[in-house]
Amino acid sequence: MRQRSRIGSRLIIGLVFLFLYLPIFLLIIFSFNRGDSSVVWRGFSFHWYAKLFQNRLIMESVYTTLLVSLLATAISTVVGTFASIGVYSLTRRWRDPILVVNDIPMMNADIVTGVSLCLFFVAFFQGWGSFAQWFNSVQGLVELPVRLTLGLGTLLLAHVAFNIPYVILNVAPKLRRMDKNLVDAAQDLGCTWMQAFYKVILPEIKPGIVSGALIAFTMSVDDFVISYFTAGSSTSTLAMAIYGMARRRITPEINAVSTLLFLAVLILLVVNNLREARLERLAQQQPIHQPRRPDIVERLAQGAATVRGRWLRRGVALAMACVFVVVVCLLSAATGAQPVVNVCSWGEYIAPELIEQFEQETGIRVNYQTTDSNETLYSLLKSGGADYDVVVPSDYMISQLIEENMLEELNYNNIPNFSLIDDRFKNLSYDPENKYTVPYTWGTVGLIYNTTMVKEEITSWSALYSDEYADNVLLINNSRDALGIALIYLGYSVNTTDEEEIREAYRLIADANRRGVFQARVMDEVFQYMEGGNAAIGTYYAGDYLTMLENNEDLAFVVPEEGSNWFVDAMCVLRDAPHKEEAEKWINFIASTEANLANMDEIWYASPNREALEQYPAYYEEKYEEPLDMEFYEIMAAPQEVLDRCEAYLVLPSEIRTLYNDLWIQLGA
Amino acid sequence: MSKELICLSNCVMSYGDDIVLDHINLYIKDKEFLTLLGPSGCGKTTTLRIIGGFLLPTSGDILFDGARINDVPPHKRMVNTVFQRYALFPHLNVFENVAFGLRMGQTQIQEVKGKQVRCKVKLPEEEIRSRVLDMLEIVNLKGFEKRSISALSGGQQQRVAIARALVNRPKVLLLDEPLGALDMRLRKDMQNELKRIQQEMGITFIYVTHDQEEALAMSDTVVVMDGGRIQQIGTPEDIYNEPKNAFVADFIGESNIIDGVMRADGEVEIFNRRFQCLDKGFAPNEPVDVVIRPEDVDIVAEEQGQLKGTVTSVTFKGVHYDTIVDFYGFKWLIQTTDFCPVDSRIGIKIDPDGIHVMKKSRYSGLFGDYSSYSEEYDEIGDADYDFEQDGSREGGDEE
Amino acid sequence: MKNRRSLFAIPYVIWLALLVVVPIVIMTVYSFTTADGVATLEHFVGMNAYAGVFLRSFQLALIATLISLLIGYPVSYLMAREGPGFQRVAMALIMLPMWMNFLLRTYSWMSILENNGLLNQLLAAVGVFDLINALTGSDIQYFQMIRTPGAVVLGMVYNYLPFMILPIYSVLVKLDNSLLEAAQDLGASTVDTFRRVILPLSLPGVLSGVTMVFVPSVSTFAISRLLGGGTQMMLGDLIENQFLGGAYNPHLGAAIAMVMMVIVVVCMAVMKHFGEGEEQAVML
Repeated sequence: MRQRSRIGSRLIIGLVFLFLYLPIFLLIIFSFNRGDSSVVWRGFSFHWYAKLFQNRLIMESVYTTLLVSLLATAISTVVGTFASIGVYSLTRRWRDPILVVNDIPMMNADIVTGVSLCLFFVAFFQGWGSFAQWFNSVQGLVELPVRLTLGLGTLLLAHVAFNIPYVILNVAPKLRRMDKNLVDAAQDLGCTWMQAFYKVILPEIKPGIVSGALIAFTMSVDDFVISYFTAGSSTSTLAMAIYGMARRRITPEINAVSTLLFLAVLILLVVNNLREARLERLAQQQPIHQPRRPDIVERLAQGAATVRGRWLRRGVALAMACVFVVVVCLLSAATGAQPVVNVCSWGEYIAPELIEQFEQETGIRVNYQTTDSNETLYSLLKSGGADYDVVVPSDYMISQLIEENMLEELNYNNIPNFSLIDDRFKNLSYDPENKYTVPYTWGTVGLIYNTTMVKEEITSWSALYSDEYADNVLLINNSRDALGIALIYLGYSVNTTDEEEIREAYRLIADANRRGVFQARVMDEVFQYMEGGNAAIGTYYAGDYLTMLENNEDLAFVVPEEGSNWFVDAMCVLRDAPHKEEAEKWINFIASTEANLANMDEIWYASPNREALEQYPAYYEEKYEEPLDMEFYEIMAAPQEVLDRCEAYLVLPSEIRTLYNDLWIQLGA
Repeated sequence: MSKELICLSNCVMSYGDDIVLDHINLYIKDKEFLTLLGPSGCGKTTTLRIIGGFLLPTSGDILFDGARINDVPPHKRMVNTVFQRYALFPHLNVFENVAFGLRMGQTQIQEVKGKQVRCKVKLPEEEIRSRVLDMLEIVNLKGFEKRSISALSGGQQQRVAIARALVNRPKVLLLDEPLGALDMRLRKDMQNELKRIQQEMGITFIYVTHDQEEALAMSDTVVVMDGGRIQQIGTPEDIYNEPKNAFVADFIGESNIIDGVMRADGEVEIFNRRFQCLDKGFAPNEPVDVVIRPEDVDIVAEEQGQLKGTVTSVTFKGVHYDTIVDFYGFKWLIQTTDFCPVDSRIGIKIDPDGIHVMKKSRYSGLFGDYSSYSEEYDEIGDADYDFEQDGSREGGDEE
Repeated sequence: MKNRRSLFAIPYVIWLALLVVVPIVIMTVYSFTTADGVATLEHFVGMNAYAGVFLRSFQLALIATLISLLIGYPVSYLMAREGPGFQRVAMALIMLPMWMNFLLRTYSWMSILENNGLLNQLLAAVGVFDLINALTGSDIQYFQMIRTPGAVVLGMVYNYLPFMILPIYSVLVKLDNSLLEAAQDLGASTVDTFRRVILPLSLPGVLSGVTMVFVPSVSTFAISRLLGGGTQMMLGDLIENQFLGGAYNPHLGAAIAMVMMVIVVVCMAVMKHFGEGEEQAVML
């Protein structure tokens, strides 16, 4: 009977483990898939592992994750241990409130901790900025950096901050249980306090320290939310990289990196478990009643082993410490010595070889980051999370940034290639005197649909809001585009400041939303949906449509008859950018005809470079040995009659921007 | 006393090759105070747990009122236990701890269609209340109902544990070293208290201890166990005065155990000298163990003594002196009110009723020599508290 | 000597003040001011516009917590009854997924739950859709699983289940066996013993497990984004949106975070009280 209940119990435990591990196993299996699908098996291959080691974004993020986790664990273990000893020697009256405060990071939601730390860092940076300016102005010996941003340092601080409580939580009970007289006894026997600490306290609380360190490390590796708010944009942990990728497309390199991580941890655990089991078996084999006196040889061997073990352990610790120091030094040296330019752009918005080419030509390292919408970029800039030099916002956002004095005027002498830009794209409304910007691309917003799911040809935006394609329509997930399109459909200007018109546009969307027309709200996620045939209709940018078309031939694109938005994305340099010189070099490089051709070929967005735009069909034919389909070309570089139907966004007054935001949140709520 | 209430017949308990109980046969009478006495690991707690229903014997039967109860789970046995570490429920207060068993409903034997059927009956709240309060009064804990367990002293917890078991009016109360964690004074008080409660309630107590004084002071019957076997069953007087073998003699009180030879009925030879004794029925010239209690030896002048020896150490004990005397290389403990200085030569006399002759056993030669006698040694020997159980204490020790 | 040891506490107290107390104070200040630094209550007054988001977040988190408890408690209970070797391996296996980042684990569910994902393909291969279509005359190609509230709850349960199991298990495994014997001895059947002794004694573990699952669930934004497809906007999304998302308004974000924090704290306090009440109820 007992046997049967044991089998039943193991069955239940087994089922739960199956639930926990099945997804992980699938992840591992598909890391060996030849194809890039995580659904269809196309044969065994290691090539995602090979690709993984070439993927700079993932490798750097893995490195950051491990570095931050290990450093944070080491620091918080040491600090936490001493803090526990200190706190436990206080009287109750002092100790209890401290412990309550200590619990806050553990009890609080991660997002609250992350947000509050983010606000704290930003406030500190502002204070520091004024201090440094004052300090630099009164003396000339030391030049303090004025502009601090979120980055590895703040990430590390945040991790240490939420790790220490876990260390204290584990060390404290051991301290509490420790005989209070032990230290006295040790000192009575002639130890100094430090000796007593090493020889008595430390061995006594060691299990607590070890488990505290282990939990701290686990929490560090597992964390995403706090890192997300405190790492800024130039540093990214593996979790942040995945989150960034998930918007667009997660490549099987992630499966490969998961597999490697899983195996590493598994091996560690197995080794540890085997060791513990062996120790236990040894303890059992030794009869308890008559402790066998180990003979002299054995004792010598044991003694030697412990001595050797201790030295070995010390050696390992020493080596690890050295590695840390070297790594940190290298890291800071590498970032300090080599000139860098921090660029923030959109996802899959550049030909990757351009970065390498630029780095080789100039020796300037390009730290290339992406975000997914103008609004997000704005948030990042405002929250002080970004230390970019070059950003590539769209027209209306540029005017807003100029308005808020966030951009630096460019020195066009350093950007000779600016002359190659078509005059159509100079002195546009967002930058009338063209003091701040060099255009990067331009294009239209249009409607993308899957011809296997949509039978007739679509010519109107009405398809977005009709029940015909209920639960198969993707709503673009930014307020400006979504409301702008609705305004166009209703026959209003995208730049209207009439609140009632905007509300009407909102009602159109909200109504469709209520009827369940929209399957999801997407930005870069649109690639997955449309390419995978998971949705029938979406709204996105012409260039991206062409990228999707490469993966799904059934997709069609239309700039509906009501008109649309046409946009220019332009490169600008942020005010107080630390690498302005490098930034201008980068802008000049990208503005060149060759770079524009490469970009056009890669991302299918039209170039503002006159030569490049004209030469592209020939470039294409030479490269692919077939003529460019002029239909594609016209989608990419919309002809004037299409542009005439379209309207560019202008910056909206702030109360209208607030209205946009409020309405947008209401839609989600 | 009256009929047999519990009967263990041929009980064996083994874990693989490790035999913990070796064919135990034990009869326990109604309203008896029976003590299982022995060093740790002797099988006394195992026996108790078998009676309580927490262990199933590997073989053998356990009968209750004549019915076999091997398969009856603990909660259906008319037996309650006071656990070694009390096992009081930390989440309940004193009142609720005591009331716990009553709230579980009382097993009653009812006649249903002429058949005797056990069934659980839920008690009305007033009855629970009055019974708990009565019980708390009996254990002198009146007014403590609302206290939380952690706010009680060891002695008070002990009383709660007893009350909690007794309030269910069991036929038998099992007590597993209940006084082990208390200090000396409290222990003495509780011994009296327990004896009083047992007499007041008129139920059977089965008491496990390693403390022979406790066993002698409280019990009607003492069962001395060692190595999974019963060494001797008897009244405290029997056990003390007529130990069956060297183990019992040594474990109960102090004894000098000397090799001897039975020369005839009532005549035993020790150190080549013949002594008169009361024991009979041994084969002629049979080698035996002779027990002489330290207080049965009279010190006389050297020339008058049956045996002559040298005093090697004297310890003042209040009522008497513990005097160690060397007789031909064998050290005796003698308790006497006369002070004999160290190194003085003395003689001793032993009355025939001071000599107890035992058959040789596997314990012969292991005990009874005081060569290495010291106070400390004695105490260490006594404190064979269950260390395994002691380890579990750590968890509860938080501030 | 005593004083010397307590010196160690001073740097930590400063650290706590700087990195725990001050950030929360700043957040509070943010929530009561506008971008121009004027004191205001507008963020709180306007909060009822997000009642739907609050409601949905708490609802989903509550469901996820309940499911975790229903799975986690029996598993912890059964595990605590196993031998030490089994327990050690089982604990290691429960900890192991936590060493992979939780976004990796969430991501793995995305490919399973997609409309043309593994689960739907499996169901199609087994012929479930054919059967349903044949029976009802419908034309189903897949079950909509991803981008539903169910998927979000699944993600929460999957990610936070270990946080439910660990505390309950560690309470249960420490439970003194003699207490269970005592209960049995006093006439409690297995069910009684569980209800009146094991359950109340494991309540602290259950409470901390519930907290450890509920708090991250109610505030998550990654899970709802990845598995909810952005249609299931939750509190985390709302807050994230105000800081690093499209709608830049950290003052409003701080206010929402404050309200969430307060509600969670109140919930926990009530639950703790309720838990104690439960204990008292067992007593009376």
